[in-house]
Parts: sequence; structure tokens; C-alpha cells
Amino acid sequence: MDELELLRIRDEVLQAMYWMRSEGIADTPDGPELARFLAVPAATLAPYLERLVLDGDLAAQGPGFRLTPQGEQHGKRSFADEFADMTKPGHGECDDDCWCHDSPEEAARCLEDRVGHGHA
Amino acid sequence: MPETSPPLLPKRFIRPCLLLLLREDRGHGYDLLERLAAFGFERSDPGGLYRALRALEEDGLVRSAWEASASGPDRRTYEITRKGMEELHRQARGLASTDDLLDLFLTRYSEFVSLPRRRSGERSRTTSSA
Repeated sequence: MDELELLRIRDEVLQAMYWMRSEGIADTPDGPELARFLAVPAATLAPYLERLVLDGDLAAQGPGFRLTPQGEQHGKRSFADEFADMTKPGHGECDDDCWCHDSPEEAARCLEDRVGHGHA
Repeated sequence: MPETSPPLLPKRFIRPCLLLLLREDRGHGYDLLERLAAFGFERSDPGGLYRALRALEEDGLVRSAWEASASGPDRRTYEITRKGMEELHRQARGLASTDDLLDLFLTRYSEFVSLPRRRSGERSRTTSSA
């Protein structure tokens, strides 16, 4: 098993499981359910799930898997890290109350303003 | 009882739908899953929603943050970005062009086959059970 690939899949699986749990979609999804959720073949995912159990990120529960405290912490943190640069307003983005304001024409005007002399 | 068919949704239609829903109000995953049903999306495909939200976020069209929940683990709450609003406008214009073509197609088709149709006023008052 490629260790770099394992790191990537570990992030993917733990983030998805944290999201599923927090939305009340599934606490202990099984392999096929996780594979459908991530749109990957179940046979491809299965060895990685076994490895995540061995590493202490997941625990087997009945036919499914649940996040351990370690896996939960990693899933939440890596999700936030992955999108950290995207959660802040971009340079030149309008204020929340700007949204300018409900038509393509207004949006185009706002964009021109921002490109020309700043707006936010 | 008239014969009905499931709607044929445009490819990647979930993207403008999510942008529109987030333009109307920010939301979290399950909430968006419920609201998407009005546009013909299956509630039984949370994975499709999850992957679409991630792709929109990677493209900078939405942003998200953890929000504490009183009843369980923190939830990821999504909102549209400035770039997402611009993309929503672009996609809405494309859908309007598609709507004109669909209308032409259905008008010509209905010259020889009767087809039950709802017009825009009805559409906005009706939600799909899909």
C-alpha cells in the first residue's frame, strides 16, 4: 500500500465520516456505503478501511465502522485545514450586506467597481 | 391517471441549484439535502451532495466553517462567496437559454402529441417528491 496514497485516503475517509455523522446521515457506515458516498469502488476502499482500523482511526462495529476519538479529531481538523484558505473572504469581495443586489447588471457594475477602484 | 416520468435534469444541475439555495440562505448538509428535493434530487444521495459541496468549495464558489450544534457534533455550514454569486448569474443565464430551447422543442412536439405541462407559475408553487 502506497503510504502517500494512504495519507490522502485517510483524510478523505475521516472527513467524510465526520461529515456523515455530524449531519445525522450515518454513525457507523459499512464499506459499501462509504464507497458509494465517496464514489469509489468498494473493493478499492476495503484495504484502506482495514488499515485505518489498525492505525486506531476507526473501530469496527458490527458490519460498519465508527470514528475513534483520534479519527474524529483528525477528520474534523483536516477538513478545516484543507479549506482554510477558502474560508476567508477573498481580496476585493464585497461586504455581506453589499450583495449588489439581485441582478446580473448590478453584479457586473459591482465587479467593475471592484476592479477599478475597490469596493469592499 | 396521466403517465409521469422522472425529470431529466441537466448535467451537473446540482451546482447551480446549490448556489441558488445558498444565495437564499446559508445551510448545512442535511438541510441542503432536504431543500434540493424541490429541484428533483434524491434525498437518498447524500454522497452526491457532499462531493458537489467539496467541488464548489475547491472552486472557491462556496465557503464553509464548523458550527457548534446543541444536539451533537459540530456541523459544517456553507455559504456562497462573491465568486459563487457571479457563477450563479452565469449559470442562470445559461439555464434561461436552455429553457428557451426546451420550450421550442416541447411546443413543436405538442403539435402532434399531447403532453401534460406545467408552466413557470405552477412550477414555483410545486415541489417535487423525488
